[in-house]
Amino acid sequence: MGTGAPPPAGPTTPHTAPSATSPDPSGTPRPPRRAPSGRRSARRRELFACGLLMAPFFALLTAVFLVPVGTAVWLSLFADDRTGLGFGPPNPSFVGLRSYLAVLADPTFTAGLGRMLLFCLLYIPLLVAGSLLLALLLDSGAVRLRAWAQMGLYLPHTVPGLIAAVIWLYLYTPGISPVIGLLSAGGLNIDLLGVDTVLPSLVNVVLWSNLGYNTVIFSTALRALPRETIEASVVDGAGPVRTALLVKTPQIRSAVVTVVLFSLIFTLQLFTEPMLLSQSTSMIDSRFSPSMYIFDAAFNRNSYGLAAAASVVLLVCTIALSYAITRWTGRAAGPEEER
Amino acid sequence: MSGAPSRRGVLAAGLALPAVGALAGCAPDRPRPSGGRGPTRITFWSAIRGSQEVVDAFNATHDRIQVDFEQIPSGTQGGYAKLSNAARAGNAPDVATLEYPQLPGFAIDGVATDLTGLVSDRTRDLLLPQALERATFDGRIYALPLDIEPMVMHYRRDVFDEHGFEAPRTWEDFADLGRAVRDRLPGDRITVFPTDGGTQFASYACQAGAQWFATEGDTWTVSLTDAPTRRVAEYWQGLIDDEVVFANSVGGPQYPAQVGDGTVLVRLSGAWDAGAQMSSHPGQKGLWTVAPLPEWEPGAGVLGDHGGSTFTVTRDSRHREAAMEFIEWQVSHPDAMRARLSAGTSSAFPVVEELVEVARRALPDYYGDQDIYGLFAQEAAKVRDDWVWGPRMTSTLNLMHDNFARAAAGRGTLVDAMRAAQDGTTPDLRALGLSISEREG
Repeated sequence: MGTGAPPPAGPTTPHTAPSATSPDPSGTPRPPRRAPSGRRSARRRELFACGLLMAPFFALLTAVFLVPVGTAVWLSLFADDRTGLGFGPPNPSFVGLRSYLAVLADPTFTAGLGRMLLFCLLYIPLLVAGSLLLALLLDSGAVRLRAWAQMGLYLPHTVPGLIAAVIWLYLYTPGISPVIGLLSAGGLNIDLLGVDTVLPSLVNVVLWSNLGYNTVIFSTALRALPRETIEASVVDGAGPVRTALLVKTPQIRSAVVTVVLFSLIFTLQLFTEPMLLSQSTSMIDSRFSPSMYIFDAAFNRNSYGLAAAASVVLLVCTIALSYAITRWTGRAAGPEEER
Repeated sequence: MSGAPSRRGVLAAGLALPAVGALAGCAPDRPRPSGGRGPTRITFWSAIRGSQEVVDAFNATHDRIQVDFEQIPSGTQGGYAKLSNAARAGNAPDVATLEYPQLPGFAIDGVATDLTGLVSDRTRDLLLPQALERATFDGRIYALPLDIEPMVMHYRRDVFDEHGFEAPRTWEDFADLGRAVRDRLPGDRITVFPTDGGTQFASYACQAGAQWFATEGDTWTVSLTDAPTRRVAEYWQGLIDDEVVFANSVGGPQYPAQVGDGTVLVRLSGAWDAGAQMSSHPGQKGLWTVAPLPEWEPGAGVLGDHGGSTFTVTRDSRHREAAMEFIEWQVSHPDAMRARLSAGTSSAFPVVEELVEVARRALPDYYGDQDIYGLFAQEAAKVRDDWVWGPRMTSTLNLMHDNFARAAAGRGTLVDAMRAAQDGTTPDLRALGLSISEREG
């Protein structure tokens, strides 16, 4: 906006001008002051409209995010302190970062966090590669009855995680599982809930639930691609594989980043599936994932301060990792997009 | 079964109780009938079988106090979480049931309250001292014990006789016998190392002289890997490595099957397990005998315990005197014991001598002519009175179970498991604000 000239008469000026001048007791219009005041008032209206339109967002953000996070931070800084042996009356007091130090010094928490990172390393590449492959196949036209295939793939996602875990628990448990029965009849004895196999088994459950959903995301992104680029590649002599990998995939990059990001957040908060499988194998302990650690701290160890501190640590880790991924992919994408 | 409450006994209870009431009446906070002339109503939560029968017997013989009973899930199945949450909401029952390992935690959380001033001298004298000691912290009584369960060895006498095995007296004998069983009876093992049996392991360590937790002045000492514990852990690790024992969970369906089909010849557990065995394997009647637990040094006369419950008055109770009167009746009156046994077979070892007699008479014939209660009484006297459970014992035990299971799967050892349990326990205690001193004794 220029500095001197009054703003062009927009739809707001007829209304703002009189109201801006009316308080003037002399009654004489004073054009030099009128322009900035009109502009300010227009701006105020603009801000008001923005505020009004964004208010629901901020109200929800406050109610479902800021207040709970604030409560967690608040809880984590206080404790019903007991001095010495602890058999006295509780003394609610400010304990500063003590709960945080306890969480970070707790090998069971850091091990849970590490386990989930390992889970991510197994799960996310498999998920992205698998659903991308399926989406590209669906998009290539090689698959007949595409709508049916898509629905079949999507169906597992409609099964709640809890039920999925129950289904797989049945398939994993020796003695009742027909799969393990068949395998052992064939001379192959495998414990799918053993010390080394339990993490891959869990990845499998989550993969089963989420593969179809992410395939749909990728398919939708692929379908929105400009057909000219694909035609061009075909004209240039690219086969279906090259078209898929070198033309289509780079163009749905942002969808891939979104999927990676959501999967990462989902994995770090993994709770239902391991919680249920822990009923059946002692290889999943009560503090297997950070979320299970938080649940255990609050409800088994009766230590809300510890649970709150662990929640905040988990939140910070999630935000930091999400930020790192968006920054890293953003930077990698930057030069390409500039060209 | 002879455990049904007799009418005469019920009448006698009515006569005996005013005496208890009079003693309790010395304290200032007498139970007053709430809302005019009605009886004082108190609430009671328990997971112990037969509690409903006990409450019915109490209500039938008491006018001033009436108990409302609620059966809750056992502690680790959600009972303790329910109690904690109720206490946080301010509506815990007047009387709650706690096992020994969880009592310190609930006392620290303020759910179990200091009952020292409420316990009558008469009751105090009746209770087995080492049991009461388990419920006493920093010189204050936080609960009254119902039973104490000395560790004993249950073994298949028929198989032992058939193969000329003798009941082992020492742990060395036990290991030798275990090897003999492994070599001579293919598929059978002397016993199971319970990967979910943290309290069993604790009792082995206790017997060997361990002191996992102790209160010294204002500080909790934590030493889950002290020398006696390491000795016990290495011993069992050796048996697991040499495949002398099975290593699996005993909470699931596997263990009853192992006992039922005779692949396990010895059960190492508390006195209560004799009754559990009768109920779960009636067909093995006459095959089992109970003997003292093997020892490290013959004749050392030191023992740990495994199981046992206590009752406490919670901080939300507004009828503390009445609640205590009910607790005292439950743990010390023969009619309470009769009512409890009427719900089913039990071989729990009560902490009041008079009740041992009641329990002995109610016991069905399963062990032939063996006087198992005589043995329990002899063994209960050996139970250490200076064992202290930790302030977050459920969690410590869970950590042990998680890592025992890994050790049984060949990942790490039992000593590593105890170290992991210590490392996972101390952050909890620090978060509580307790002063902690870690020690590797």
